[in-house]
Amino acid sequence: MKRILNIAVIGVLVISFSSCEKYLDDKLENPNLVKVPPINPLLATATYETSMNQYRLGYNVSYLAQYLASSSQGSDGDIYNEVDYSTTWRNFYSTMMNISEMNKLAEQNSAFHHLGVGKVLMAYNLNMLITAFGDVPFSEAFRGLDELTPVFDEQTTLHARSLELLEEGIASLSRTDALAEIDVPSDVVHGGKVAAWLKTAYALKARFLNQLSKTAAYNEENILTALESAYEKNEDDAALIAFDGLSPWNEVAVDNENLNLDGWLSTNIVNAMNGTTYGVFDPRLPLVASLTKFGDYRGTRNGAGRIGTGTDNEESYLPTNGYFSKGGAPLPLVTFAEMKFIEAEAAFRDGDKETAYNAYLAGIAANMNKIGVDEDDKNTYINNAAVSVGKDNITLALIFKEKYVAMMLNPESWVDMRRFDYLYKDFQLPLNAALSGFIRRLAYPSVEISRNGPNVPAITGLDQRLFWDQ
Amino acid sequence: MSFYSKMRGILLPRHFEFCFLHPRRPVVKMKTLMMSVTMLVLLLTVNGLLIAGPSHGQDLSKIKITLDLKNVSLKTALHKIESATKLAFSYKSGDVAAYRHINYSVTETAVDKVLDDLLINTGLRYELLNTNIIIKKRIDPELSSDQVAAIPDGGIKGRILDAEGGPLPGASIQVLGTQTGAIADGQGGFSISGLNAGDYKVQVTAIGFTTAIRDVTVKDGETADLTIQLTPDNTSLTEVTVTALGIKKEKRSLGYSAQEVTGEALSSSKQVNVVNALQGQAAGLQINAGGGAPGQGAKIILRGINSLDGARDFQPLFVIDGVPIDNTTDVTDGSSLNGMGNRASDINPDDIESINILKGGAATALYGLRASTGAIIITTKSGKSGKLRADYTSTYSVDNINKYPETQSRFTQGWYGEYDPNSFWPVTGPTIEDAKAIDPTHPDKIFNNFKHGYKTGNSFRNTLTLSGGTEKAILNAAFSQFNQDGIMPFTDYKNYSAKVGGDLKFSDKFRMGMSVNYIKSGGRRGNADRYNENLTYFSPRWDIWDYIKPDGTQNTIVGSGNENPIYILYGKKYVDDVDRIISNANFTYSPVTWLDISYRFGVDLYNDNRKQTTPGKLGLVDEIYPTSDFGFGGVRTYSINNRIMNSTLVLNFKNDIGEHLSSSFKIGHDLFESRRHTVYTQGDTLVEPTFYNLNNVKRTTAVTTQRDYRIIGLFGDWTLGWDNYLYLTITGRNDWTSTLSKANRSFFYPSASLSWVFSENIGLPAWWSYGKARFSVAKIGKDAPVYATSEGFKPQLPLTNGAIPFILANTKGDANLRPEFTTSYEGGLELKFLQNRLGLDFTYYNNTSKDLIVPVSVPVASGYESIYLNAGSIRNKGVEISVSGTPVQTKDFSWDLRVNYTANRNKVLSIYPDLTEMTMATHYGYLSSTVTQKNIPGQPVGALYGRTYKRYFDGDTEDPAVLDKSRPIVIGSNGFPVLNPASKQQYIANSQPKWIGSLSSTLRYKDLSLYFLLDAQQGLYRYNQFANFLASFLMQKGAENRNDMVVFDGVLEDGTKNTKEVWLGQGTGPDGVNYGNGYYRNYYRGDSETFIENASWIRLRTLSLGYRLPASLMKRSGFLQGANISVTGNNLWLSTKYSTFDPESSSFSSGSVVDGFSGFTYPATRSIIFSLNLNF
Repeated sequence: MKRILNIAVIGVLVISFSSCEKYLDDKLENPNLVKVPPINPLLATATYETSMNQYRLGYNVSYLAQYLASSSQGSDGDIYNEVDYSTTWRNFYSTMMNISEMNKLAEQNSAFHHLGVGKVLMAYNLNMLITAFGDVPFSEAFRGLDELTPVFDEQTTLHARSLELLEEGIASLSRTDALAEIDVPSDVVHGGKVAAWLKTAYALKARFLNQLSKTAAYNEENILTALESAYEKNEDDAALIAFDGLSPWNEVAVDNENLNLDGWLSTNIVNAMNGTTYGVFDPRLPLVASLTKFGDYRGTRNGAGRIGTGTDNEESYLPTNGYFSKGGAPLPLVTFAEMKFIEAEAAFRDGDKETAYNAYLAGIAANMNKIGVDEDDKNTYINNAAVSVGKDNITLALIFKEKYVAMMLNPESWVDMRRFDYLYKDFQLPLNAALSGFIRRLAYPSVEISRNGPNVPAITGLDQRLFWDQ
Repeated sequence: MSFYSKMRGILLPRHFEFCFLHPRRPVVKMKTLMMSVTMLVLLLTVNGLLIAGPSHGQDLSKIKITLDLKNVSLKTALHKIESATKLAFSYKSGDVAAYRHINYSVTETAVDKVLDDLLINTGLRYELLNTNIIIKKRIDPELSSDQVAAIPDGGIKGRILDAEGGPLPGASIQVLGTQTGAIADGQGGFSISGLNAGDYKVQVTAIGFTTAIRDVTVKDGETADLTIQLTPDNTSLTEVTVTALGIKKEKRSLGYSAQEVTGEALSSSKQVNVVNALQGQAAGLQINAGGGAPGQGAKIILRGINSLDGARDFQPLFVIDGVPIDNTTDVTDGSSLNGMGNRASDINPDDIESINILKGGAATALYGLRASTGAIIITTKSGKSGKLRADYTSTYSVDNINKYPETQSRFTQGWYGEYDPNSFWPVTGPTIEDAKAIDPTHPDKIFNNFKHGYKTGNSFRNTLTLSGGTEKAILNAAFSQFNQDGIMPFTDYKNYSAKVGGDLKFSDKFRMGMSVNYIKSGGRRGNADRYNENLTYFSPRWDIWDYIKPDGTQNTIVGSGNENPIYILYGKKYVDDVDRIISNANFTYSPVTWLDISYRFGVDLYNDNRKQTTPGKLGLVDEIYPTSDFGFGGVRTYSINNRIMNSTLVLNFKNDIGEHLSSSFKIGHDLFESRRHTVYTQGDTLVEPTFYNLNNVKRTTAVTTQRDYRIIGLFGDWTLGWDNYLYLTITGRNDWTSTLSKANRSFFYPSASLSWVFSENIGLPAWWSYGKARFSVAKIGKDAPVYATSEGFKPQLPLTNGAIPFILANTKGDANLRPEFTTSYEGGLELKFLQNRLGLDFTYYNNTSKDLIVPVSVPVASGYESIYLNAGSIRNKGVEISVSGTPVQTKDFSWDLRVNYTANRNKVLSIYPDLTEMTMATHYGYLSSTVTQKNIPGQPVGALYGRTYKRYFDGDTEDPAVLDKSRPIVIGSNGFPVLNPASKQQYIANSQPKWIGSLSSTLRYKDLSLYFLLDAQQGLYRYNQFANFLASFLMQKGAENRNDMVVFDGVLEDGTKNTKEVWLGQGTGPDGVNYGNGYYRNYYRGDSETFIENASWIRLRTLSLGYRLPASLMKRSGFLQGANISVTGNNLWLSTKYSTFDPESSSFSSGSVVDGFSGFTYPATRSIIFSLNLNF
């Protein structure tokens, strides 16, 4: 008996002391994740996701800017009902977190050009977010466990912060001692060209400053100075050039072609271009919209929904061969044409009508060239008396009208519309709108209300104006 | 440590090493533990000579007693008689000490006879002297000195049979009054020799049977024949039950509640999934079927939710024949809405002998952290020796949808009351009459698609079990086949299973057994959520069953933009195919009587290969291709390779310390290893539209994941028994887990439980047959989910230019996670009355879980979607009551009743300090009526929050976080109720039931039996997304009033009563006012409180009529031993206020703890089941 006990005890001891620590250690770390990633794949995320955020926000607010209209009657997104933009909100914060992580890594590795791009992209995301939602979390954001319930910062402060970030980005991009090179395919906006990023930084600066037109902080000189360092030609434009499948607006068009109805153009944009509103046919229209079965271009009124079956080409859609929506179509982010219109507006407000007029015409031409309008058609349009009004007759309305067309599907347009108080000719409220006036902001998404409720500012309604829109 | 290093790596294959970690902590604790136990033992052993008390002269033949003695000493037996009769005995301890291990049982028998029985052949006699009974040594005249040397040559041989006449191996045969006895062999046979001629009483005992005593006369040189048939013991006094780690314990010794469900009870409901079969069978058990899909999973909540993590698997540990098995419901391939099965559903319910439900901490302590939410111990049917026996069961069922919402039937397709047969809007047009005036082809009636879209399903199961063998080797086998067609079009499920097992007895000291079970299961699953959603969009003016054109393309409502729901089901094919092997091998070695060494090795291995295919666009004229459901045609495969290995070694030291005290001390080692590898391949855009091959796609992407999990455990269990009425069990376990950091990975937790069978030592009235009190306290630790301590980046799909973005995993790990602990207190009573005809089992428990590890859904601005944190504590307390009774029991007729009642109260005590609330899950609702299940301190886990109507408080202060329904609704100046802003989320109701109850009853008359089970869950609420969608499209019955003018009940902002009359319809009303999109779309659908519905239910879960064919018929057949036929109805009756499908179905998969949502689920079924059972 004693022998058996001894054997048992020895057995247990022998078994005990095998490599147990290791047996467990091996399995602690997640083998499906990489701890320290290479920086260029992070840059790919930063550039790609930021561009996609522009698309995502653009898709949502295109119904408010009335580029698009729902094929369904009374769709919430059309008629100013509250829509839950949780997914968009998540995408923005996830993107910014990834940028913030890349920036940290870039600083550690003296990858100053990556850092510069990161700062510019951060400014870009932040700016898009505040122009849609107003106050948002930022100063206490991206801290993980250290700050789980970030406060919402004042939009005024954040607007200034977005400009600061641009300055920091410019400084970093200008450094010559960067220790890492931007990998060409990983930069899906500028293909690794640092000079191009610098121009984009200034272009965004001009855009951000221009947003302040209704405020005391508006300064035409600063805008014009920024523009000097921004784009000089269409080729400088920032655009998303690689995708994870179909190019985003192409996907919309393909869906629609497959009768998953989407990408229907609003009466407002179609009428602005087909001669109904302004008496002149815009040659860009055939390049961005589909022809109806009636042989013309017709929009769908926001809130009204379709007229017929929705499958008979009774209205115009984003076509699968359109400029924005063809297969592999680049997604324009910030363009030379936009710069020209910013210049036109700044010069106009500065009283320099000649500069304003020339910039206005240059903006139209640049956009037409970009979209691929025939030279003759372009000239016909520009030379039309309703367009070429002469420098003395240039008005903000004309500048805004042309910018509205040139900035099609870009969320920045909705900023312009609010700055211009929707004073476009014949611009109508959606049918059965839930508000008595035009929409001025988005509601905070449920993901933030349910998780960070106490910090979410109360809003009085979707007609509440943001600080730069007062 | 140097010694460890030296010994490292010398043993066993590298991938599965036996590991006992450095046992520093537990040893310290165990030492203290042992000291306290030793003290207790010393105290208990201090007992003196029994002093006889005074008594009056008695006629012993007139005092009747009932005794049930199991393995006790003569001294104890006398003591029992004393306490039962107030008689007093006097004797010398030395005289009686030699007589131990007495098994004896009598009912209402005279004491003189009992004493005769007990003292026969002991050499002792008794005499009544004054008031005492004196026990003395007998001076036996027969035992003269010359006869002593003679060798007695008489004997007894025979067989012990069970109730059905089969052999009963292992029964213990004792010749009373002698030291002679035997154990029945594999054929139930026994033989006893060496008896003197004379009259003997032979006592036969076997676990689960009543003790039998027979008179036998033995003659010199002859062997008497004796065949005894035992009757099953239903009194439970001697019930043995399977506890943690397969340890069999007498039920009376358990200091915690343990409920056993027999195979018979399980099979009475003829459920497909073993989890569903448990419904209503035990207290403390909340089971919710995921829905009625073939092979769909079901979830179990034991004693309330003790997790704050909506995604973590909180299902109890499933153990089959001692082997923990995988019970995952894997939906990581996006199949959460496809009604996937929980893996335990692979098990054939017809092959189950019994299920033990271990609920509390003390019950599961030995299993350690994996059983922190309880354990379901399944024992499958095992073999019996003897001739080959076969059991064949065949079941056929017909299934139909048991409940569907009533839809409006007055209005048809269109918008703003205008008819449009191409409209997206299914029923917001004019009345059918008006539409027919415009469109003569319009049918007279529109469909209720939630009925019309479901068909009759059926299932067919055949099970054959075989067993037989010799005393040395027993074999058993089970084969089954199951095929089911679901009620939702194009859904089915199959399960084939083959099991072979055997037990070998090499000697009395060494036994071993093993079993292998191969299972093939799976089928075509459909997304019920999407189907019902599509059914909501599709105008019921058209027939969905007209879903396909002759060329194979979709036939749908042209222009509506909506898909034909059935065509989507038809085209989108999702099939899972599981190959699984569950196997175990075990041995028990008993080198000495006081030690058993048992070892068990189990493996659960499966491959789950899933494939989803959707056809591409055929490219035909007028083709309406459902891109959003089909993509561009594709092939997706998801393969899971899962392996669980488990090794358990237990040393059991059992001995008696002194006369009264028995001890059983177990120490063991447990090793668990799980490895899960998955590959998810996605092929998009088919080139040839119906060739489902990964080489036929334009783009293929693949994601691989690997999850490894290991636990090492060391445990001890010490049970001390005092005279078979007082038991103390102390357990301790230390776990080392791979999911926590080195500093936190080792943790110890103890438990103690006490059982006092007070009916054994307190004089109870005769009608009170049995009484037991129990108390336990336990602590259970739990580790973190796999990889919850790590974080990092992961590659995304490549972009079109070849760049591969890396993104930060949006769930952040925390390296500092600590184990979570649950402390539970449990007390209970088990009482039996009137010869056990009435039984009551009462349990109260109070469990507090602390430091719960939760991937807290954090504000996304923190940079993460969620972060793993030790983030809170929860308390569950409740009562469980079981009452069982046999109101009638005659030869031909019997009536059994059982009632189970459970009430659990759950409360979130705290959450992560920085947060005011933690979101568990949300479910979308139109117009910001999205409902969120949140954890907020002070409220239950199932708290549902959403958007509400504004209430009038008349100057009182409103608690903004809680809806006060007693207050009047504020009506706006436009005459409609005012919706609170979406950001003002209010607590509306709780998804946890107030109580759960069941009533089951069996009535037997001769060979007929009738069984029913009424089952109820009351006081629970669910968010009904389905109702919200119906409301958005004005499809519910209530929306037939849309052309009415009404005055909403409520008050204006100033508190005065609302009197404004408004129209409910769309557009301009009869009063000339433009009402826009109308009341239902503008207000009604935006109020979450409307859609958080009372989901309480009572149902007739099972009604079954069975008939056992008479024995005479069996005999005539020559080969049949028995035959039963039965017809069973499931869900024949359901009473609930819930407006859509059966609220028992859940919108979240069975792997999720989230239970607040029941919307577009796979509807439950009402089944009629025919069954035939034959024994050969």
